[in-house]
Amino acid sequence: MIRDITIGQYYPVDSVIHRLDPRVKLMGTLIYIISLFLFKSFTGYLVALVFLGAVIKLSRVPLGYILRGLKAVIVLLFFTIGFNIFLTPGQVIWQAWVFKITREGLRSGAFMGIRLIFLIVGSSLMTFTTTPNHLTDGLERLLGPFKRLHMPVHEVSMMMSIALRFIPILLEETDKIMKAQSARGADFESGGLIKKAKSLVPLLVPLFVSAFRRANDLAMAMEARCYRGGEGRTKMKPLKYGRRDYIAYGMIALYLGALFLITRYLWK
Amino acid sequence: MSIILDKVNYEYSKGTAYEKKALRNINLEIRDGEFIGLIGHTGSGKSTLIQHLNGLLRATSGAIYYNGQDIYDEDYKMKDLRSKVGLVFQYPEHQLFETTVLRDVKFGPSNQGLPALEVDLRAYEALKQVGIGEDMLDLSPFELSGGQKRRVAIAGVLAMKPEVLILDEPTAGLDPKGRDEILDQIAKLHQENKITVILVSHSMEDVAKYVSRLIVMNRGEAVFDGSPKKVFRHYKELERIGLAAPQVTYVMNELAERGVMVSTDATTVEEAGAEILQWAKKCGII
Ligand SMILES: Nc1ncnc2c1ncn2[C@@H]1O[C@H](COP(=O)(O)OP(=O)(O)O)[C@@H](O)[C@H]1O
Ligand SMILES: [Mg+2]
Repeated sequence: MIRDITIGQYYPVDSVIHRLDPRVKLMGTLIYIISLFLFKSFTGYLVALVFLGAVIKLSRVPLGYILRGLKAVIVLLFFTIGFNIFLTPGQVIWQAWVFKITREGLRSGAFMGIRLIFLIVGSSLMTFTTTPNHLTDGLERLLGPFKRLHMPVHEVSMMMSIALRFIPILLEETDKIMKAQSARGADFESGGLIKKAKSLVPLLVPLFVSAFRRANDLAMAMEARCYRGGEGRTKMKPLKYGRRDYIAYGMIALYLGALFLITRYLWK
Repeated sequence: MSIILDKVNYEYSKGTAYEKKALRNINLEIRDGEFIGLIGHTGSGKSTLIQHLNGLLRATSGAIYYNGQDIYDEDYKMKDLRSKVGLVFQYPEHQLFETTVLRDVKFGPSNQGLPALEVDLRAYEALKQVGIGEDMLDLSPFELSGGQKRRVAIAGVLAMKPEVLILDEPTAGLDPKGRDEILDQIAKLHQENKITVILVSHSMEDVAKYVSRLIVMNRGEAVFDGSPKKVFRHYKELERIGLAAPQVTYVMNELAERGVMVSTDATTVEEAGAEILQWAKKCGII
């Protein structure tokens, strides 16, 4: 049910990937996502797949669990692929009424689909293996240079980590309220679009009320502990690169190198 | 008529790292008109168990019969079960959503598809039963105090006229006065409406006074099941699983150990008092 939404959640197992410095994972994810848009050949995707597969294997997060996260974006996936298939101009191979499928459309639809899947799996892998606290620390350090330009780096990463932390809490709350309203005979499944939208009122109102209540409580708790932003704040456990992290950077470089060589020179 | 649970097991998030066995081999029979206390330490599986009784959670294995019908049968109507087994969740005030108290209470019965007049009648009746005065009917539920909100939420379930009423820690977070009021009202409901009531709590003191049967949960198992007197005889074992018998049980056991001839079965202060007085009279002390 609602708990199938796994994007952005931490998956608590111990693995090499979990132990990596969050900066490595952030950079790695960013590089990986960019790399997906650098080439336009199936061999390139093969390399990207091998790399992703290896990281998944190392992370010890079950594949089924990762793929379940895709369920939440399946509509988006369909639309993207659909638009690409039907709306790309080119050599027509099938036509009915106003719909036509082109060779180029098929090709770019497949590319977009694969890219999107890799992108989502790749970035959710980062949150699966990194606790929100680590993620914030990493982000804050990576964005550190922008502080000079008076960007509120600390605040932004704090907001991000709170948002991430609240995803599971709000999902749990949704689950609870849904059950409580079902116990009063609410029906969230049947009916047409309008009836379905209406049936969300008993769910959304309490959910908003609870989100505001929680936000209030959290703000109060932070203030009670004298939180006043990032100025002059030190860390209990400052991030430090270890050997493992340098090796990981090496691997990422290796991936990029292989991608470049293979798509450029070997099988184009 | 009754609810029967046959070897019910339940596991949360099966097949992930969050896998959690919450119920282990639960066998129970809940008969009509009983007033049951379901007790256990936090995390012992009380809330999980009661959500099975109206079909919100589906047992991983085992069977549940409501009035002899298997609720997991293909053609069993879950919606009917939900209106027969009324479930008041913990912190039910968090589920209020309507613009007025009255409209919120009407949500349940109108989902049952009753005529408007009947819905109104039931809502008024339920609100009266939980002690919400007519001056509050048109207020926004969000304007009420914590205790009042909770009573409105309970009325929301009562208005569906369930045959079985289950309340998950209805007194959590209330002050002693609010707690006693709610418990007294529940006891009155049980007597007047002749419905089965299951009261979930982690406090013995709360329920000992009211219920006729206690079911004690520990780590997903039902470890004791019987009258409060019978269950409190195991007060040493209860302590080991993080619970305690009512204070008077300790007093009476201590007295008995020191040679005072009193029965250790008293579960309320009144009973204990009567018992001690009787002993004192017998010995000629008073
Ligand atoms: N939605 C859930 N997902 C996963 N585990 C849960 C969920 N709800 C409860 N649990 C776990 O199941 C066990 C029993 O919980 P619960 O029935 O809520 O206990 P109680 O109501 O007695 O405090 C606990 O260990 C709890 O952590
Ligand atoms: Mg509970």
